[in-house]
Amino acid sequence: MLTIGLTHYLVLAAVLFCCGLYVMTTKRNAVGILIGAELVLNAACLNLVAFSRYRTGRLDGQIAALFVIVLAAAEAAIAIAIFVNYYRLLSTIDADEGRQLRG
Amino acid sequence: MVGIAHPTSMSNIEQLLVAGVLIPLASFLILALCGYRLGKPLAGWVAVLAIASSCVLSAAALVKWHGLDEAGRLAARSAPVLWAYLGSVPLAFGVNLDSLTLIMFFMVTLVSTCIFVFSVGYMAGHSDEIDGLSKFHRFFTYLSLFGFSMLLLLIADNLLLLFISWELVGLCSYLLIGFYFHKKSASTAAIKAFVTNRVGDCGFIIGLGMAYLYLGDLSLSGAAQAFAGQWQTHGPLFSQTFLGLNLATWMGILLFCGAIGKSAQFPLHVWLPDAMEGPTPVSALIHAATMVAAGVYLTARIFVLLTPEAQLFVAVIGCITLTLAALVAMVQTDIKKVLAYSTISQLGYMMLGMGVGAWIAALFHLLTHAFFKALMFLGSGQVIEGCHHEQDMRKMGGLWRKMPVTCGTFLVGVLAIAGAGIPAIWMPNHTPFGLGGYFSKDEILAVAYHRVYGEENVAADAPVGRGEAEASPHTGNTAVVAGAAPIQNPKSKIQNAALPPWLFWIPIIIAYITPFYMLRAWWLTFMGKPRDHHVYDHAHESPLMYLPLVVLALGTFFSSYYLFRPLVADAAPTPFLTAAFDGEATEAADAHGLLIGHTTHAALARIVGGAFVVGFFVAWVLYRRGLGLAEKLATALRPVHVLLSHKFFFDEFYGLVFVGGTMVLKAVSYAFDKYVVDALVNLSALVTERLSWISGTILDQGVVDGAVNGVGRGTWSLGGLARSPQVGRIRNYILFAAGSVAVVVLWMAFA
Repeated sequence: MLTIGLTHYLVLAAVLFCCGLYVMTTKRNAVGILIGAELVLNAACLNLVAFSRYRTGRLDGQIAALFVIVLAAAEAAIAIAIFVNYYRLLSTIDADEGRQLRG
Repeated sequence: MVGIAHPTSMSNIEQLLVAGVLIPLASFLILALCGYRLGKPLAGWVAVLAIASSCVLSAAALVKWHGLDEAGRLAARSAPVLWAYLGSVPLAFGVNLDSLTLIMFFMVTLVSTCIFVFSVGYMAGHSDEIDGLSKFHRFFTYLSLFGFSMLLLLIADNLLLLFISWELVGLCSYLLIGFYFHKKSASTAAIKAFVTNRVGDCGFIIGLGMAYLYLGDLSLSGAAQAFAGQWQTHGPLFSQTFLGLNLATWMGILLFCGAIGKSAQFPLHVWLPDAMEGPTPVSALIHAATMVAAGVYLTARIFVLLTPEAQLFVAVIGCITLTLAALVAMVQTDIKKVLAYSTISQLGYMMLGMGVGAWIAALFHLLTHAFFKALMFLGSGQVIEGCHHEQDMRKMGGLWRKMPVTCGTFLVGVLAIAGAGIPAIWMPNHTPFGLGGYFSKDEILAVAYHRVYGEENVAADAPVGRGEAEASPHTGNTAVVAGAAPIQNPKSKIQNAALPPWLFWIPIIIAYITPFYMLRAWWLTFMGKPRDHHVYDHAHESPLMYLPLVVLALGTFFSSYYLFRPLVADAAPTPFLTAAFDGEATEAADAHGLLIGHTTHAALARIVGGAFVVGFFVAWVLYRRGLGLAEKLATALRPVHVLLSHKFFFDEFYGLVFVGGTMVLKAVSYAFDKYVVDALVNLSALVTERLSWISGTILDQGVVDGAVNGVGRGTWSLGGLARSPQVGRIRNYILFAAGSVAVVVLWMAFA
């Protein structure tokens, strides 16, 4: 009988994190990168909740996860605002086109 | 004079003299500072007023002095004012108050006054403009300074003060000879005079140094005393020798070198004829009262420092000078040049007199000469001015109709320099009658005769006197001299030895030539038929210029008879030194010389008494019909004439040897400069350049710049390395961030 334990959550979170990371690094579409970032954040939230549940038994992790979700929403709003401006400037949202940051 | 406690405050006589010196200085300052505003001719009268008041002051001093007895005269000398110490030698300046100073002071101021007055007239007709501005006052500024310097020289009681005023005189002569400095010949003549004098002054200052070193006292009396002390103790001056002569002789000769330059003696006489480039009153001033007199005066003052050998040197120099100059004077055609050479010749007589011990006679000749030479120079100035700057006597002639006063006064001068007179033995009352040179020059010759042939030859005529009433009170000195037994000086080579006879015979022969060339000059100028009508027609004379001539003519007469010779005799150096050196010289140098003068004059009368008659006659025969006969003679004696008219080729010789030598030296120094000094300089430049290349290119560019650039390049490549990950792709940044986190996590996990 398979007992779902902490390890499963952590593995799932790790897979999720890796997926998010992969998406962030491979996608040229800015929105795609944003989605990747959401995946990474959610992976982190999952870890927090899992550790909270299996390690501390208190609600600290859940609270932190809630904060992360709120922040993620705020971040998405900011990111999309940036993209709109980005699109206005470059007529595309291909992140590779914005090379001004190149040293 | 030393050893007597002198009052510290100046006596009246000294105050008069000092004021007499300072007034021309004040005039110089006034003219130098605001002479330009005084203008023409007021500036000239300021100078005349100054020198005339000096003359009056000196006359007052002379009268006072004449009234004093021996003790009063000593008391009139105040102690010199201590100025400073030069090492251990005190420098004290005071007034050298004695009869010689007073009579010279009077002569200089009187002659200068005449010359200054004449100058006002002379310069009025001369261009004095430089760049369109009148510089009339400049002439009188220099004249005032000249007067001041000469008077300072006369009252100086200190060799150093003497030297200072000596140099001032030299400076003034330079300024005045080069007065028309925009004229090339005048400026070169001024430089020649200055440089020639420097040669003599070089000797003078070495002599001064020797006096400082060995005598330790620069005051005239102190130096004489120290000199006597050295002789008595056989000090270093007498025990040390250089080139076979003892140092005392060298010191005398070197001090005399200054006089050779100033008094235009052979071999430094070349500047004086060229000094004719200055305005004629300046020539008169230089030739009579100031410049050349300074040399004779110096010799008189250092006479007590001269050893017999040095005296012989002086006599020989004088003899050579008087001979050369008289011969050259015979053929000169420029009226001023004739006078210039006659001056040199007469100065030669004075120096000869000094050398043979005729101290009194030499100074007496200086005084009489000052009058008649100033007279003749001003006369020539009047002629030149009247003839519109014509100086060639060949173009004159017959001027006596146009210039009677000048002609007459000039003749007085000619008679005086020729030594015209009737000797006592041919006068019914044994009172000689004559002018200037008759007394003074013949006295020099008499002493020379005495020194050459000894006393016994002339003693026979002893009772015959010249009958100078003025002289008799002062012959008291004779007793002192006769009583002083001559001390034998073992070191002296010519002790009591008779002088070589040519020192007597050559001046005698020249005494025949002097009247010849002087009458020649006078005859060519004033007598005969006018040779150039252009010159003759415009000739004129003006009162401002001939009045001084009359005064000087009277002075010539006056100086021959009264006051002058006795006063000079008064000042004859105290016999202790001359007695020590040379008994013969003592007698000659002192009032006893008067006795010799009397006796020898009688003997001389047979030899030179008629010299002036012969000379005049020859000149008259040659020139009474113009220049024809003389020209024939010149052609017949061509080599001699060429030699004389080229002044014995002295200028050419000096030009070749000294100027040429300087040129060779210049070429050598130039070559040395170019090939050695320049090579060294270039070499050092090359080395420096190489070194700087090493320092610049290798050290600075290679090492220092390399280090700096290396740091820069290092930073640059480090920066390049750091920026290479920053490609600008956000995805890469994410990857790096993630990778970094992964590394940190792994490190934390396994460490």
